[in-house]
Amino acid sequence: MFGVVPVSERIVEAYIGEYASGKSEIAVNRAVDLKKEGRHVTLVDLDLVEPFYTLRPIKRQLTETGIYVVAWETSETMGLGEAGSLIKPEMRWVLRRPGDIILDIGYGVEGAKVLNLIEGAADNKNLQVFVVLNIGRPMTDNVKDIVEYVKELGIVHGLINNSHLGDDTSVDFVQQGAKVITEAALVLGLPVIATYIDRKFEFEINSKMDIKGNPIRLLDRYMTNTFW
Amino acid sequence: MAEKPIQGEKRVFMTGNEVVAWAALAAKAEIMYGYPITPQNEIMHYWTRLAPKFGKRFLQTEDELSAGFTTLGGVLAGRKAFTATAGPGNTLMQEPMSMAEMMRIPSVVIIQQRGGPSTATVIYSQQEVTMTTYGGNGEGLRVVYSTANHQELFDYTIKAFNTAWKYRFPTFVLGDGYQAKMRESLTIYDPEEKGLEFVPTETFLGKAPVNGVKQPVHLRNTYNTEEELYEVITRYMEEYLKVAPEIIEHREFSCEDADIVVVSHGVVSRAAKVAVQELREEGLKIGYFRPVTLRPFPAEELKKVAARAKTLLLVESAFGQMAKLVKDAIFGSTVALENLFKPGVGITSEEIVVRVKEIEKGALAK
Repeated sequence: MFGVVPVSERIVEAYIGEYASGKSEIAVNRAVDLKKEGRHVTLVDLDLVEPFYTLRPIKRQLTETGIYVVAWETSETMGLGEAGSLIKPEMRWVLRRPGDIILDIGYGVEGAKVLNLIEGAADNKNLQVFVVLNIGRPMTDNVKDIVEYVKELGIVHGLINNSHLGDDTSVDFVQQGAKVITEAALVLGLPVIATYIDRKFEFEINSKMDIKGNPIRLLDRYMTNTFW
Repeated sequence: MAEKPIQGEKRVFMTGNEVVAWAALAAKAEIMYGYPITPQNEIMHYWTRLAPKFGKRFLQTEDELSAGFTTLGGVLAGRKAFTATAGPGNTLMQEPMSMAEMMRIPSVVIIQQRGGPSTATVIYSQQEVTMTTYGGNGEGLRVVYSTANHQELFDYTIKAFNTAWKYRFPTFVLGDGYQAKMRESLTIYDPEEKGLEFVPTETFLGKAPVNGVKQPVHLRNTYNTEEELYEVITRYMEEYLKVAPEIIEHREFSCEDADIVVVSHGVVSRAAKVAVQELREEGLKIGYFRPVTLRPFPAEELKKVAARAKTLLLVESAFGQMAKLVKDAIFGSTVALENLFKPGVGITSEEIVVRVKEIEKGALAK
């Protein structure tokens, strides 16, 4: 059942970034998109600061689509969130799993350090680390602050434009995000991997590229069902 | 160093805890004292990331008792100081805030309620209503704003500083874990550009001499005799009752002809709003009442509503803590009281709709 894709061609991506930048939403969407292509996908919830909140409420929903989800279950734990940080053994060894691996890594700069705990992360040739950015968040709303922020994060392979304002998002706002983040990417010498935009704007934007020529990926909102 | 944290106004997307940190900056707070506790931690995290950029300060103390007292110390030294806490931290915070009541020290405390009693859950509840409105060994000489969304968290955190310094009663912004962690858009702005004037802080201790004469400042939280205390507390209570009408805030709609009025506060009032709107569309005579200030409570406003309605449906994520405030406020009214109490759990609009229909059905059966 495994090994559909040779190890050399598998996709291993870690999504990091500012708290509430949309890492989990992007990671879930990426996992779902890859699954739809018929690939074998593992999605890992690596938020060690709030280890029980992020994907837990939608774990079953995602599992039903065929994605293998590595996240805590309420019934497996005691003292949710008050018991300190802990990592599932399955998380530590997750890069040994076959197929595509999508890592959702919580909590900003400190969260990004969790990669040190994953066996094989340091020398994994497939691993791509992408920073999720939203110019709707004041800490990352301009080129200078984005550049400073991304430099704090260690090894990064690309940026993701996830600029939005929740229910108040407009196509213009997403495009504005594309401009700012593409400019920051130039300064950093990094590619912009994609611009994510809510699927409801599919026909309004009516293009496969954003205003700066970065690929557009349509986003379905899952995290509205998670409370935390 | 950046001059102003917020230039003009802008639409942003944040968590509630971040909103509080930005609001405190916008309100020109100078220092935060605090001790970590979920679900309010990111107030501290964001304040400590933002504060140095704007010449502001932070002190992490050894516990919430100390966080509360150092906040008061900062205020006495003339600083615009604040703190934030939750749950068991709020319990400890009651001791310093009692002193603030007794000594009339303006202070701002942000509470993000979690489950109780004790450590309970780190997540959510509305179980800190009794403690935040009437905690400590006193008479509840304080102001409590219960917010429902991120825009209100921003607006009322700014407002809390002015309320505290204007009236000199400790002022609480009562949020909850859902508001703390939830993400939504809001408009942040520079309050002064909108014409809001800040009540100036003043140095209580160590004042400079006037014309070479040092003016003594005597703030007391200890009295020698019963009569001495009685005189002071009576005066404070008179002052509190006098300014209460200026402070009280509430929201209501569709109450004029309503048979059932849903009473709720904070984040639960969002579900109540949707439920009432849906039920109105179905043609049911339902109203919405929400106290924004839980202390002082909009008693006269609710009495008027209770006088017209047949039933008040009290909805809260606690076992009747808001209900106690309601009963006290409408004493003498013969309106029927029904409830939907879910301590420590969120309440959806669907649940409220079901409960209202049950009550309607019961009324018809009679």
